[in-house]
Amino acid sequence: MNFMNNIIEDIKSRFNPENTEIVKKNQIAIDFKNEEVHSALAYLKSQGWKQLTILTCVDWIKENKFQLVYILMNWDNSITIQVRTKIDRDNPKFRTVINIYPGAEMYERDVHEFFGVEFEGNPNHEKELFLELWDDLPPMRKDFDPLAYSKKKFDVREYKVDFIPKEGEAE
Amino acid sequence: MALNENEKINEIDVNELDCRDTLTFWEKFGNIFRSKSIWMLHYCTGCGAMELPPTMTSRFDMERIGMAPMATPRQADVLLITGYLSVKTLRRIIYTYEQMQNPKYVVGFGSCTLNGGVYYDSYAVISRLDYYLPVDLYIAGCMPRPEAVMSGFKKLMDMIKKGEALGWKRYQKYYDWYKKNQVRALGEVYVKDEFHE
Ligand code: SF4
Repeated sequence: MNFMNNIIEDIKSRFNPENTEIVKKNQIAIDFKNEEVHSALAYLKSQGWKQLTILTCVDWIKENKFQLVYILMNWDNSITIQVRTKIDRDNPKFRTVINIYPGAEMYERDVHEFFGVEFEGNPNHEKELFLELWDDLPPMRKDFDPLAYSKKKFDVREYKVDFIPKEGEAE
Repeated sequence: MALNENEKINEIDVNELDCRDTLTFWEKFGNIFRSKSIWMLHYCTGCGAMELPPTMTSRFDMERIGMAPMATPRQADVLLITGYLSVKTLRRIIYTYEQMQNPKYVVGFGSCTLNGGVYYDSYAVISRLDYYLPVDLYIAGCMPRPEAVMSGFKKLMDMIKKGEALGWKRYQKYYDWYKKNQVRALGEVYVKDEFHE
């Protein structure tokens, strides 16, 4: 725990994180402002967090925000850091991190496909990855209705009801 | 020991089974042999495929009824669709099915192929298979036990023997209808492969 606090202190002395949190034994979560994310990621990479495990997105529909979560892993001390930041939901745009973590390219395509976030500077961010010929709202947004989409697009099986209980009969 | 008169004619009495049906002698003959050696393409699309290893290995031993797995579509007779089919996979499945030689049979496996199963409201999973491919036989269950799978395969063999498994002919006859449904769900049936472009 002491070691984890040292990491947090170190980050606080260099950046202005909005919030820090020890999630569990070897996991730290830090919320940054949009401008600081790239320098924080570059700094953490130089400190040993060399692996970007995943970049994902959370839809906070009531706040009207998307939260981008970069999860970094350090193989020397097995400590995971979540770098989080919130962006505007109506016009979701963020600068790419492929110059820091080249592997982020696929994750950015994924987030673009499922949430509609645009990553400026990633030349391929609009290429489709899983959803071929998608023609609706990005499906992981909370205002997307999968049941309605499924009904509209795919035919469902109709079942014949061949037993209708009369009055007084057990169902 | 000599056979007596009753024992001599048995089993393959194909010509006299039904004189009025439209199958010729050689078609019936062919159907019997087809039903005894089935190569199935196990394009395992969903979790139901988990029941195939026990069906193939020593306890249930599928090979003893004359079925064996086959790796390529051009040599296979049966296309097994073992569970949920996402839109992306359906596109590949249609390609695979169209590469198979006639006669070919489709077996839908598990409730996902029947009515969508637990994925009935998913944006990516089709709700029923027989709109897109001609299904000869469904094996119900989520997931079906190996006993059910074996009995389903036995049923399929009987159907092939009697000439009832005619999905491939239906596909030729109603090709327009199938194509229309495929295009409606998929946009277009064209596999775009970024890594081999
Ligand atoms: S029917 Fe059940 S076991 Fe089969 S693919 Fe669907 S969820 Fe999985």
